[in-house]
Amino acid sequence: MKLSRHLVIIGISINLSACAFSSVFVSYPSHIAPIKNQLNQASNTDIAKQLAAGINTDDGLLYAQEAGRVAQIEGHFKASQDYYQQAIRDYQHFDDKAKVSLSDLGATGSSLLINDNVIPYRGPGYERIMLHQYQALNFVFEHNYEAALVEVRRANELQQTEQQRYQNSLKAVSDINNGTIDAEVDRLSAAAGKTTSSYLNAYSYYTTALLYELLGQPNDAFIDYRKAAQIAPDNRYIQQDLVRLAKQLDMPQYSDFKRRWGTAKSATSTQGTVVFIVEKGFVPTKQSITVPFTINGNWQTASIASYLPNYQMVTPTTISGLGQPLTTAPIANIGALAITALKEDLPAALARQAARVYAKSRLNQSFERDDNSQSNAASVASLAIQIFNVVTEQADLRSWLTLPKQAQIARQYVKGGQYTISLNHSTQSIQVKAGHTTLVWAIDTGNYTYFHSIII
Amino acid sequence: MKQVKYIVMLALAVGLAGCQTKVEYGNATAVETVNENFGSTDLQEIAAKMVDSMLTFPPVVALTAHDRPIIFVDKIKNKTSEHIDTESITDSISNKLLRSGKFRFIDMTKVDAVRKQLDYQNNSGMVDPSTAIHFGRQIGAEYMLYGNLSSIVKSNGDVKDVYYKMTMRLMDLNTGLIEWSDEKEIRKTKEKSFFGL
Repeated sequence: MKLSRHLVIIGISINLSACAFSSVFVSYPSHIAPIKNQLNQASNTDIAKQLAAGINTDDGLLYAQEAGRVAQIEGHFKASQDYYQQAIRDYQHFDDKAKVSLSDLGATGSSLLINDNVIPYRGPGYERIMLHQYQALNFVFEHNYEAALVEVRRANELQQTEQQRYQNSLKAVSDINNGTIDAEVDRLSAAAGKTTSSYLNAYSYYTTALLYELLGQPNDAFIDYRKAAQIAPDNRYIQQDLVRLAKQLDMPQYSDFKRRWGTAKSATSTQGTVVFIVEKGFVPTKQSITVPFTINGNWQTASIASYLPNYQMVTPTTISGLGQPLTTAPIANIGALAITALKEDLPAALARQAARVYAKSRLNQSFERDDNSQSNAASVASLAIQIFNVVTEQADLRSWLTLPKQAQIARQYVKGGQYTISLNHSTQSIQVKAGHTTLVWAIDTGNYTYFHSIII
Repeated sequence: MKQVKYIVMLALAVGLAGCQTKVEYGNATAVETVNENFGSTDLQEIAAKMVDSMLTFPPVVALTAHDRPIIFVDKIKNKTSEHIDTESITDSISNKLLRSGKFRFIDMTKVDAVRKQLDYQNNSGMVDPSTAIHFGRQIGAEYMLYGNLSSIVKSNGDVKDVYYKMTMRLMDLNTGLIEWSDEKEIRKTKEKSFFGL
C-alpha cells in the first residue's frame, strides 16, 4: 500500500515537472498577460515566437490559437496561417477521437487528483468558428482568395452546427433559419438576458458574408448578412448591406428591407468602397473563486472559474479622413460569448470539482490512518498532502485571451485616391481604387492600434 | 502485491512493443480510408471516370477520329470546404488524355517560363539567331477543359457524411459550345468508434 502511494506521488511529480508552459500550477492568464502587454506597446519583436514552445504541450491547441492571433495582429499573416493550421489540426484530432477515449479518461482521472487544467484544452464552439474566420482573413491578406473561401465554408459548416445546438431551445435562433429579422423577439430576450448575440457570433457571420461578397459570391453573402442582421438587428451597416444586396440580386425581400431601412446606396463609377473592421480591447479573462474549508480537520479548497461583472462599455469609434466623420457600429461582444460558453461548461466542471474534493479527502484520510504511530514522518506526510491539495486546487482559467473584446464595423464610399484616416488618435494612409473595395482592419489593443489594409 | 507488479511489467512490455516506428511501401492504387477527407482514391476515381467518359462519348470519338484536337486545361475550381490541390486532379486527367494519343495539350501554367526562355533566345544576344525560336509560332488551343469540385458536409457529432461532386466540361473555343460534360459523385460516411485511444 505504502509503495503504491509513493509511486503515485513520484508519478505526479514527474507529470508536473514538465510544466513550464502548463497552467497546472500557474494560472493561464498570467502566461498571456505579458504577451498582451507587449502587443500593447507595439515592440517590434516577433512576439508570437514566445508562445511557440507552448504548442507542444497538452494545451497546444490554445497556444496555437494565441500564437496565430498574435502573429496576425502584428501582420505576419503567413506565420499566423501556420499557427492556425496547427490549431485546426488539433480540433480535427479531437473530432476523430472515439466516444469513449482512453486518453480522455486518463486526463479526467488525473484531473480528480490535481485540477481541471490537466485536461487538454478544447475550445468552445465560438472559438473554433473564429479560428476559421481569422484563417480566412489570413488567406485574403495573402491574396489567396480560393483558400480564403475554403475557410469561409468551413466556418459556415461550424456555424450551422452551433445554430443547431441552440435552435430547439431558443426561438430567436430558429428564426435565423427562416430568414426573418425579428428585432422584437430579440429585444424581449435581451431583457431576459437571453439574446441570440450571447450564443451566436454576428461578427463571424458578417466576416463570412463580407468575404463572400468581396470574392464574387453575392448570393451566399446575402444569406450570411441576413443571419448577422438577425443576431445584431440594430447594426445600420448590415441593414444597408442587406438592402443593397437585395436590390442587386432582385430578392423578394427588397421592398420590405427598403421600407425598413431606406433605399440602397452603392458606389458610383468613380468611387471605391472602404470597409472597416475595428476590433477593440481584449476579451475578459476568467477569474478564480476559491473557497477554503476543512474535512475532518484537514484543509482543502475548491476553486471555480467565473467572469466578474464588468460594466465598462466599449465606445464606438469615430473615423475621420473620409469626408464626413464615420462612426462604427458594434457587431459582437466576444465577452458575452465567452460567458455563455463558461455557463455551459459549469455543470461538468462542478461535477469534477465534487469528485475531486472526495478524492483528495480520501488521500488525506489514508495518510491519517498511518498517523496512529504518531511518528514525525507520517505527520509530515499528512501535512505535505494537505499542502499539495491546497496548492494544486486551481480553477481552469484557460480561454483564448488575445481575442478582441468587441468588434465594430463601418462602410463608406469615396472617390479613388490616397487618404489619411485617423482612428483612436492613430493615423494611417490608405489607398482607394474606383470600382474596388479597400478592406481596413484596425485592431486596437488599448494603447496602440494596428492597421492592415488590402484592395480587393 | 507481487501479482500487481507482474501485471504492471506486462503492461509496460505491451505498451513499449507498440512504440516501434515502421515504414512500409504500399500499393499506390490501393483504397485509402485513413479519414473522410479528400484522398488519393477519390482523385484516382475522378480521373479515371472523367477520362473514360470523355474518350467514349460518341461526338468526342468523332472529333478525334482523324485529328488530335488541341486542349488547354483551365484550373478546376475548388468549391469544397477543404484545401485540395485541384491542379493535381487536372494533371492526372490531362496526363491520361495525352497518353490516349487522341489529344494534344497546351500547358498554361508554363507560359511565363516559356516567355522568359524565348525572350532570352531572341533578345539576350547570347543565342545564335538562326537557332533561336521566334515569338508567335505557337499553336492556339481549340478546346478548353474546365470544372468544379464541390462538396456537402454534414455531421451530428457521431456520424459525418461527406459528398463530393466533380463536374467537368469541354468547350469548343471557336463556337463556345459545350462538346462534352460529365460528373462524378463520391459519398463517404464516417462513424465515430465507440472505444479508442
